[in-house]
Parts: sequence; structure tokens; C-alpha cells
Amino acid sequence: MTTAGEDLIRRMVAGDRDAFSRFYDRYSPLVFPLILKIVRDRADAADVLQDVFWESWQGAAGYDAQRGTPEAWMIMRARTRAIDRIRAVRRRGETFVPPVDEGLAPAPPEPGGDAAERAEDRGVIRTALETLPHAQRQVIELAYYAGLTQTEIAERLQQPLGTVKTRIRLGLERLREVVRRAT
Amino acid sequence: MNDHETYETLAAVYAVGALDGDDLARFEAHLAEGCDRCEAIVRESREALARMALAATPSVPPPDVRAALQARIDAAIRPSARASRRGWLTWAAATAAVVALAVMLASGIVASRYEAQLGQIARDTAKEREQLQRAEATLRTQLAALELLRDPETRVIELRSPSSNALARVIWNDKAGGHLLVANLPAAPEGKAYELWALGGPAPRPAGLFQVGSDGRAAQKVEAGGEPAKGFAVTLEPAQGVPVPTGPIVLASK
Repeated sequence: MTTAGEDLIRRMVAGDRDAFSRFYDRYSPLVFPLILKIVRDRADAADVLQDVFWESWQGAAGYDAQRGTPEAWMIMRARTRAIDRIRAVRRRGETFVPPVDEGLAPAPPEPGGDAAERAEDRGVIRTALETLPHAQRQVIELAYYAGLTQTEIAERLQQPLGTVKTRIRLGLERLREVVRRAT
Repeated sequence: MNDHETYETLAAVYAVGALDGDDLARFEAHLAEGCDRCEAIVRESREALARMALAATPSVPPPDVRAALQARIDAAIRPSARASRRGWLTWAAATAAVVALAVMLASGIVASRYEAQLGQIARDTAKEREQLQRAEATLRTQLAALELLRDPETRVIELRSPSSNALARVIWNDKAGGHLLVANLPAAPEGKAYELWALGGPAPRPAGLFQVGSDGRAAQKVEAGGEPAKGFAVTLEPAQGVPVPTGPIVLASK
């Protein structure tokens, strides 16, 4: 079965600009919060967002539906580019600020009839992350949002490397379980 | 923790992008060997993390990003599309022109070559046909002369030159006419021809104009003239011939 997102990507491969505009309108509000959460600066986040969508336009042919949904594809790209940005900042010696959940500009009501359903899923999954034991949630957030490696996390938390690995594994098992149940 | 559980742990850390050092090398080697279980953990973990990220409240990015991207795509697509379209047209036109020229040249060359060949063949054929016709005429003349020689009435009259080794013979039959055969006679000058005269009547009777080939030879049929001929003579005359001899006698019978 082809989803609307996959269809848009296929049209982008063919050079369809309108498909790209629709793809952007559909996915940018979903990936922008992640980028903003990682880079923590709205202007930087806007730059990264532009790069991510530019790459999606140029690399649309590289999308493989077998390996994930368009959402996961874009989130992976957004996360990777955003982490690249903060790692570059870190290399320049600027102080790394650990991620903190903060209020993001709320999105206008989503078009489409599945808004409520999506919001419900979102609520379930967000709740899942929030209900993880703090230790598991912390390592996942430091890895995923702050781009820290297992060694860096172990140093930061003053924990043995094996403990960090195990926490990540247990946290992701839980997260996978929640997603499996929600879909 | 058994051996594969260690990999499953690394798979989770890998999925969240935190694997580093020896662990990273070890796990990538394990993945490269083809472990469906670990691949599934990585894929499902990434999908779950994406869902987690997507679970954040959507936030509309600054509108200038959309505008900037569209401008960027326009800049990337349009000039290249236009250029490539123009390029394609130019290429197509150039190619078409080259092809057309090549076809024209090739067909022209082929046509002119064939025309030349056909023309040459036609000319050769015409020349050969002409030669053949001459040969046939000569053969008919010679056969007729031979046939004439069977006739007891037929005489061979020899004509000689007073000043050269030119020689002619007339195979003559008063009823059937005869044939003139010439050898060693120089070609007639421009505007001149040799004229044969039958002697024996009250005056020389014109018996035909002839030219001599580069080989000094000539062969010609001579029509019967009613009166028996006693001898023959050849004079050099104007090319259109004359009714009575005016030029010098070149050959004459005794």
C-alpha cells in the first residue's frame, strides 16, 4: 500500500515541485520541533530545516519504503543534521547546554480528518516516553536529542558504560512496545 | 547475558546514534554478517524514536524557510531545465542538421558516384555497341565480299598509288556491285574526303566517299552503277564530295 507521503516522494523524484511543496507543508511542522529541540535556536533550526528539506528534494530517489515510513525518513535526516550542527558548535568550544523540554510555538490546527487520531497517538507515545523510568529516559534523550555517544553519556552521568548501554536498551524496548501497541 | 544479547544491547545504542569506539566497529561487523534480529531491533527502535519525536506538538517553521526552499529549487531546476531544454533543442537541431547533411552528402556522393558509374557504363555500352555495330557492319561487308568472290563474274581490281605504297582492291561484280578495301592510305586532311570513281563510261562515275582510319585502312560497299566498270580511281575531294573529279588522283587501277 502506498501512503500519501510515499506518493509525494515518488513525484519529487520525478521533479514535481508542487509535490515538494505539499511534502514540505505536511512534514515540516513535524520535524521542526525536533530540530528546534536539538539545536535550541530558532534561526539555526530554520537553517537546518532548510538543509534537511533540500536534501530530501535532492535525495528523494534514495527513499526506500522497505526501510521505514516517510516520517521516520525525515525525522532521521532532521535528527542527523541537527546533531551535526550542535556537534560543530561544540567543536568550536561553545558551552553545551543539556536539552530541556521547553515550550515550542504551537502549531495551527492540522488540516485533514486524521488530526484527532494523530494527536491521540502522539499523546500515547509522548506519555510512553514520560512514563519511562527517569534513568532510561535521560540516557535516551541525551543520546537522541543531545547527540552524545554512550561514552560521553557515561562520563556526564558518572555511570559505568555498561549501565548506560543497558538503560538505553531497556528504554528502547519499552518505547518499541508502546509504538507496537499504538499502531 | 549471552553473546547475542550483547549485540541486541549494542543494536539499541546504535539505533539511538550513541554507539562509538570498538563497540561501533564490532556491531557494524556483526550487522554486515547479516543478522536479521539485530536489523529488526535497529529498524524498530529508529521507528519508535521517530514516533517519539513526532509526538512533540507540531510547530510551523518560519515561513521564510518555505520561500527560501522554493527559490532554491527554482534556481536549481529552472535554469538547468531551460538550459537543458535549449541544449536539447540545440543538440537536436545540430544533430538533425548533421544527419541531414550527412544523408545529403552520402546520398549525393552515392548518387553522383552511381550517376558517374551509370554514365560511364552507358558511355562504355554505347561505345561498345557502336564498336559492335561497326564490327558487325565490317563482318557483313566482309562476308558479302567473300560471298561476292564465289561469283565467277566477280573480279578483283587493284588500285595503286603513283607515289606511295598505298593500295586498294575493289571486289567488283557488274551486276551486284562490290567492295572497296584500302590499306596504307594516309587519313584525308581536315575538310577533305576520298572519293571513289568508277571508270569505263563516258565519264568517271562517283562511286562513294570514304575516310581512312588511323590504321590507314578503309572498307566500303560500292553500289552497282548499271554500266560495267573497267577500272577505278580515287581522288582527294572536298568532304561533301563532288560530281566530277577535281582533286589529285591518289589511287588508280591500271
